[in-house]
Amino acid sequence: MSTATKEPGLWNAIRELPSNVWSSAFRNPLPSTDLERASTSFTNFFLHIHPVKVNRHTLRPAYTLGLGLISTFLFVILVVTGVLLMFYYVPSTTQAYDRMLDLRGTVAFGIFLRNMHRWSAHGMVAMVFLHMCRVFLTGAYKKPREFNWVIGVGLFLVTLFLSFTGYLLPWDQLAFWAITVGTSIAGYAPLIGKQIQFVLLGDTSVGQEALLRFYVLHVAVLPAVLVLLMGVHFWRIRKDGGLSRPEPPAKTPEAGIVTMKKVYGMQGFVRGPFTKLGNTPDDSVFSWPNLLMAELFVLVLTVSVILVLSLAFNAPLEQPVNVMHPPNPAKAPWYFLGLQEMVSYSAFWGGVGVPGILVALLLLAPYLDRKPGGVGRWFARERLLANTLFLTLVVLNLIFVVIGTFFRGPNWTFVSPF
Amino acid sequence: MTAVNSENANLPRRRLLAWLSSVGLAGSAVLAVLSDLIFFKPRVTYGQPALFQIGKPEEFPPGTRIAREAERICIVREGNKIAAISTTCTHLGCSVAISDTGFACPCHGSRYDQDGAVTGGPAPKPLPWFKVSLAPNGEIEVDKNAPVDPGTYLIV
Repeated sequence: MSTATKEPGLWNAIRELPSNVWSSAFRNPLPSTDLERASTSFTNFFLHIHPVKVNRHTLRPAYTLGLGLISTFLFVILVVTGVLLMFYYVPSTTQAYDRMLDLRGTVAFGIFLRNMHRWSAHGMVAMVFLHMCRVFLTGAYKKPREFNWVIGVGLFLVTLFLSFTGYLLPWDQLAFWAITVGTSIAGYAPLIGKQIQFVLLGDTSVGQEALLRFYVLHVAVLPAVLVLLMGVHFWRIRKDGGLSRPEPPAKTPEAGIVTMKKVYGMQGFVRGPFTKLGNTPDDSVFSWPNLLMAELFVLVLTVSVILVLSLAFNAPLEQPVNVMHPPNPAKAPWYFLGLQEMVSYSAFWGGVGVPGILVALLLLAPYLDRKPGGVGRWFARERLLANTLFLTLVVLNLIFVVIGTFFRGPNWTFVSPF
Repeated sequence: MTAVNSENANLPRRRLLAWLSSVGLAGSAVLAVLSDLIFFKPRVTYGQPALFQIGKPEEFPPGTRIAREAERICIVREGNKIAAISTTCTHLGCSVAISDTGFACPCHGSRYDQDGAVTGGPAPKPLPWFKVSLAPNGEIEVDKNAPVDPGTYLIV
């Protein structure tokens, strides 16, 4: 470069290099004032998903149980372990099962990564479902959050489909017959069922084409859809005014009315309940460090539980695919056993009719139940009817899952587990 | 034309152009979706062929009732009559096994009699029978694309 200029000086530039690089990457010091706490949430790329301030109610663990956060963190674990597993997996009917054995036998940490992926996947299905239950039972889907509930139902379905497509990849007996049954259920859809089944499988029966299609869906298409929906879901939380909470007791705002004279930067133009001007008395705290610490705690908890589970329990791997002999009984993954139990009574109603009606009910719930009361509390009295209906359906489904899991033996006959 | 007039005269044309471009855009979107669907529907499959030969009639002596698991059919021979019954469960596509009374499905408990008619369980339809013929080389040929009425036999 040119000779050192007088003022900054090459020597000084070198001497101050570390602190200059640091301060160019992180514009704020560790916050010690409210202004700095606000700026940190504004200016950091990874933190600007947060609002500057959150309501205290949002941070109550007993309200959210952290279920949405846990689902998100499980998805992060799934992406990381999934990408690592992709380095050793081959979506081929002749190689896939051998690669599973390689993960057990030769790949460093292979079995551990597979365990993490499997248990996180089960966990995500469960947590997303519980998160949906939480949102329903606290009435959080009501206006103005109706559409975010709809996105959430979409996220739940994509999660199930991701789990389902992942099931085929080990190419073991469970995988093969679960997919045979699952795609046949799709075949019962009216009019275009057979077409859907053919397009899903890429062939008339489950084989190499189906494995390749499910692989691409599992590692590319569905994760992309999920990430997109998650982005909208998170964005809508902010735009719909943060997490649901009870109406605050009526107070006359002393400040907070936007006048033409006083505009505090762009904040002055933001619509909705999050605009904070002047000294509005409210019940909110700064995201840094309150929300951040809560999230960190949930992250550490989630990762710890998955690590312990993965050290303690190995992901099951059944016999390699035998196209001639379905295992008896052939069972789907546990969260589809309720479906399978219903399918054993009637393929159309169990596999298409009833699930279709349930999904439609879920999607329409916020538009059918429009009474504003009871938002932000668990089991609010005003919502007794809605909550009872919802819990009845949940319990019915759980009963079907339990019957399918424990009470069904060879040829799907009724057996007692005791 | 004056400026004011030309402004008014342009309006219907603008609306027409806007309308035409909307139709064009929507049409392209529909075509894109349709071509995707066509793309996803395979024109060639690499799995089990639907028309295949299974051997000479002598290999199946009278009284034979044997499941050919790779092709998922059951070859039945009674006297000089030969038939091929599907062993793919009509409920959800599992392989049914030969049982004492006919066929039984391990997945959801469907049961069929010796001729594939439903006797229990959730199966909505009987097991289909496939066309069986004698190929010029003397082997029995089964066509899984050609279902026939139950009770239709090949006489050898």
